[in-house]
Amino acid sequence: MREITYTAAAREALAERMAVDPTIFVVGEGIGPRGGNFGTTLGLYEKYGAMRLADTPISERGFVGMCCGAAMTGARPVVDFMMVDFILDAFGEIFNQVAKMQYMSSGRLKMPLLIRGCIGIGGSAATHHSGSYLPQFSNIPGLRVVIPTTPYDAKGLMKTALTCNDPVLFLEHKNLMATKGPVPEPEEDYYIPFGQARIAREGKDVTVVALTLMVRKTLEAAEALAKEGVSVEVIDPRTVSPLDTDTILESVKKTGRLLVIDESFQPCGIGAEIAAQIMDKGFDELDAPVRRMNGGFTPTPYSPSLEAAIVPNPKTIAQAIRDLIKE
Amino acid sequence: MAVEIVLPRLGWTMEEGTFVEWLKKDGDEVKPGDLIYVVESDKTTAEVENFDTGILRIVPNGPAAGARIPVGFLLAYVAKPGEVLPFEGGVGTGTAHSTGSGTAPVPEQPLSSSKGVEGPARAIAASTNGTAPAGKTPAISPRARKVAGQLGVDWSDLKGSGSTGRIVERDVRAAAATAAAAIAAAPKVNATPVAARAAADLGVDLAALAASMPGKRIERADVERYAAERVASAAPALRQAQGPAPASRKPMSSTRKLIAERMTTTLRTVAPVTLTTEVDATELVRLRESLKADAANSGGEVPSYNDLLAKIAATALTAHPQLNARIEGDEVVTEASAHIGIAVDTERGLLVVVVRDAQDKTVRQIAQASRELIARAKDGKATMNDLRGSTFSITNLGIYDIDAFTPIINAPECAILGVGRIVAKPVIVKDKVKARKMLALSLTFDHRLVDGAPAARFLQRIKQLIETPYLWLAA
Amino acid sequence: MKVTKDQALALYRMLQTIRQSEEGLARQYAAGFIHGACHTYVGEEAIATGVCAHLDYNDAIFSTHRGHGHALAKGVSPRELFAELYGRETGVSHGRGGSMHLFKPEVGMMGTSGIVAPCILQATGAGYSFKLRGVPHVGAAFFGDGASNNGAFHEGLNLAAIYQLPVVFVCENNQVATEIAFSYATRNTDVWKKAENYGMPGVCVDGNDVLAVHAAAGEAVERARAGGGPTLIEAKTYRTRPHSEGMRDGGYRSLEEVEAWKKRDPIKILTQKLMIENIVPQSELDAIAEEIRLVVEDAAEFAKNSPYPDGATALQHVYAEV
Repeated sequence: MREITYTAAAREALAERMAVDPTIFVVGEGIGPRGGNFGTTLGLYEKYGAMRLADTPISERGFVGMCCGAAMTGARPVVDFMMVDFILDAFGEIFNQVAKMQYMSSGRLKMPLLIRGCIGIGGSAATHHSGSYLPQFSNIPGLRVVIPTTPYDAKGLMKTALTCNDPVLFLEHKNLMATKGPVPEPEEDYYIPFGQARIAREGKDVTVVALTLMVRKTLEAAEALAKEGVSVEVIDPRTVSPLDTDTILESVKKTGRLLVIDESFQPCGIGAEIAAQIMDKGFDELDAPVRRMNGGFTPTPYSPSLEAAIVPNPKTIAQAIRDLIKE
Repeated sequence: MAVEIVLPRLGWTMEEGTFVEWLKKDGDEVKPGDLIYVVESDKTTAEVENFDTGILRIVPNGPAAGARIPVGFLLAYVAKPGEVLPFEGGVGTGTAHSTGSGTAPVPEQPLSSSKGVEGPARAIAASTNGTAPAGKTPAISPRARKVAGQLGVDWSDLKGSGSTGRIVERDVRAAAATAAAAIAAAPKVNATPVAARAAADLGVDLAALAASMPGKRIERADVERYAAERVASAAPALRQAQGPAPASRKPMSSTRKLIAERMTTTLRTVAPVTLTTEVDATELVRLRESLKADAANSGGEVPSYNDLLAKIAATALTAHPQLNARIEGDEVVTEASAHIGIAVDTERGLLVVVVRDAQDKTVRQIAQASRELIARAKDGKATMNDLRGSTFSITNLGIYDIDAFTPIINAPECAILGVGRIVAKPVIVKDKVKARKMLALSLTFDHRLVDGAPAARFLQRIKQLIETPYLWLAA
Repeated sequence: MKVTKDQALALYRMLQTIRQSEEGLARQYAAGFIHGACHTYVGEEAIATGVCAHLDYNDAIFSTHRGHGHALAKGVSPRELFAELYGRETGVSHGRGGSMHLFKPEVGMMGTSGIVAPCILQATGAGYSFKLRGVPHVGAAFFGDGASNNGAFHEGLNLAAIYQLPVVFVCENNQVATEIAFSYATRNTDVWKKAENYGMPGVCVDGNDVLAVHAAAGEAVERARAGGGPTLIEAKTYRTRPHSEGMRDGGYRSLEEVEAWKKRDPIKILTQKLMIENIVPQSELDAIAEEIRLVVEDAAEFAKNSPYPDGATALQHVYAEV
């Protein structure tokens, strides 16, 4: 086991696959000689050259559409979009072409396309560099949406993304990219399948599902609550499309109470889907209403005091858990 | 074979159009590109094009100008010369509607929606869809559980009518209705089997006994006591001596006996000391008058002086808990809550009804409770709960113009407050003579439990609360 | 003329196939067999025919909503085309696509599209894939004048140029987008000249002259296969039927204009050229036309008798393994 950063772990996965699959190429702004704005392709240009690490002009719709066509004709493109907010310019290509291609062609065309980059609120990045858009991507049939929170998961899920035949949105919270965690030695070739949640902390009093960065915040809150005698089970879904509700359901059978923590806003967040599914399949297990804790219903503000006010933090998460226990 | 001319769909959502007119006549020669009739849809007026070469044969009894016709409606044929058409008895290809529009089959079952949600190789967990496994507590919906609580239904043996065998609200309500019907049909006596046997042995009328203790389960002790009363009252009258008018004799009632017994027991055990004081009750009277006036406007209970004093006593007791105590063996048991006993004069004698948790009740709530309690006591319908558990008592002889007196403690309590009459008197207030409403209070306390000074302080507190009611309104 | 007799006959055959199929579809639309939209290609057949003559099944074409001609020219059969528009299981997209989502990857037909312009980006992507993998295949995009003002045109041509990709961009300028005249939508109605902005060659041809299209396309495909990068071809043409079957044709253009362009019928133009150069006797051309007539008749019958897809399969093929 080694302690490496989330970004390094994902990069290892990419490098490993590029070494054995010559059809993989990466496009994006600054991913060539610069190695990516976040270091996502560091060192790869020197190895593989411009055709496989292609810097692009600022034309998100153009290069996403281009990669759609490339994926239809025998290549395995990776779009490294830097910030998810930029890729909104390509929403039409993603929704109308990428997501629908397999269906329109009755399965004769696959769409082995990876679209990856960072999401999330933090560091006063403000509203054009802080989005997540998980519900929008998860709602459309044909896309996979992957949100790992640990280096171990980032590498394992990236390996799967680079070997499956579905289009994948691989979304990395910007505040997780520099975090470190244990990852097996490079010789160990492991894959994490989509649709498998991870139990980040076991507990028996309440189930808390947390998304992306909120997993870490919730673990902090759970640690504090343990001292008060409250035992919190924290679940990291790891992928929201497909979404592993079975694991959440099993947990709720144990605890009877469910809270979903999401830094992004209501209404119609991922928490709403989880709540509806658990309410439906786990109705009799519920001892209290299912609750969601979301960020403020607002574009992301710039000033640190405003930014802090609109996202859940360990204290507010702990209070939300306490309130749910009382129900 | 003749080509059918049917109304085409001129626009994706068009379902019918309005026929306007024919541009050709029946029997005309037509060729591809000719416009043969005009139709109107919601969006537009269109001249419809013909695709074939031949003779136009218009179906008879066709639509008149302005008629609404559906898409696919058969209007005409383009036929070869001399060809016999279906409407002339010839063979046709069937109506345009059935084959021409090629209607697609419409499914009757909804699609399973879970497939799209699950990823590859994830089956739906069977346990979430099946009925509750045998041997486990049945499932009950949150709502049903709530209703079960409200109606007092034990649902553990109910059969649920929900789709997974879950007990739902209707099941609970049905069970409650059945139980209510059963109760209505059942005999009215609630007695233990042992009591019932004792009653039979001793010749006690269970129904009569039950009437004197409604809502309570009759136990053997109750039967035996009741029987003893009967026997005592059935004892032969003492022989009377001859001579001047004889004194009347009557056996002591059970209540009287009870009282007698309790009085002597109390006085044998407690060390009673009575403190008296005179209190300026002018403010208290003013308060009560305003409550009376308010009740006249908005309805509701008018608290009696006993109600007000109960509230005051409870308030004082929270600050002086030693007087909210009793002796049990070697222990002093101090109650956390003040249950104020109010002495009520009834036909059967003195009864003390208990207002529970008086410190938590508002004056109005105390008034309501005491009214109901007193009514029951006077009607002979007081329950054991009504009469038991007081921690401090009030006895009021004011209406009989009594001032101070020496009330006897209501054992096992620590103290009792005797209340005299409220009477206007001249009083010195700030060196001036004023007419004030004065009230005599007599506190008897058990010197075993409490010394004179603390008892006096307690009485002083009561005095303060009476003289300045705002103090306990803020409490 | 730089075509052999066989090539000429092949071109003629394809022109007839497209013409008669489109007219047949128009007729069947009026008869109620076609659901959804049907945008016919009558008058523009020479473009699909001339370009696709240079492409094989490994080359990938990406088309637009007016794509039946491209589908047929690339190798989709009339039967598959009719059945698809009838919504039947035997259609080329198994009933999932209809007119605007025709797919036959096996022959390099990578889809018609209900969205204007993404085909430009996807053809660029195919070019990238072929270049990356070092194979001599070509990507081609067919789009109308309406797409030339879309962002995808700008971004796609730019990317193809900077990466020097093997792509042929074919703009079929029929001078109107639904009902909006091209001259309204742009101040520069010569699409081929815009190629200069991106640093790629631009060519203008008469889109109703299949031999001219054939020649220009031949050059562009050669260039692409040889690693010379992309080309933009503008083929000026005209559609003589409404934008979509069932829609009106008058109001935005005059009958005279339509009649004038009908006289420039691509089939007539080729026939005349073949007659003048005495390459092929008329009788041979008539025989081909009759052959195609039977093929199209058969296609309509085949489609009419084909079953609808089972509703229970509606959820399949959303993902690779489901």
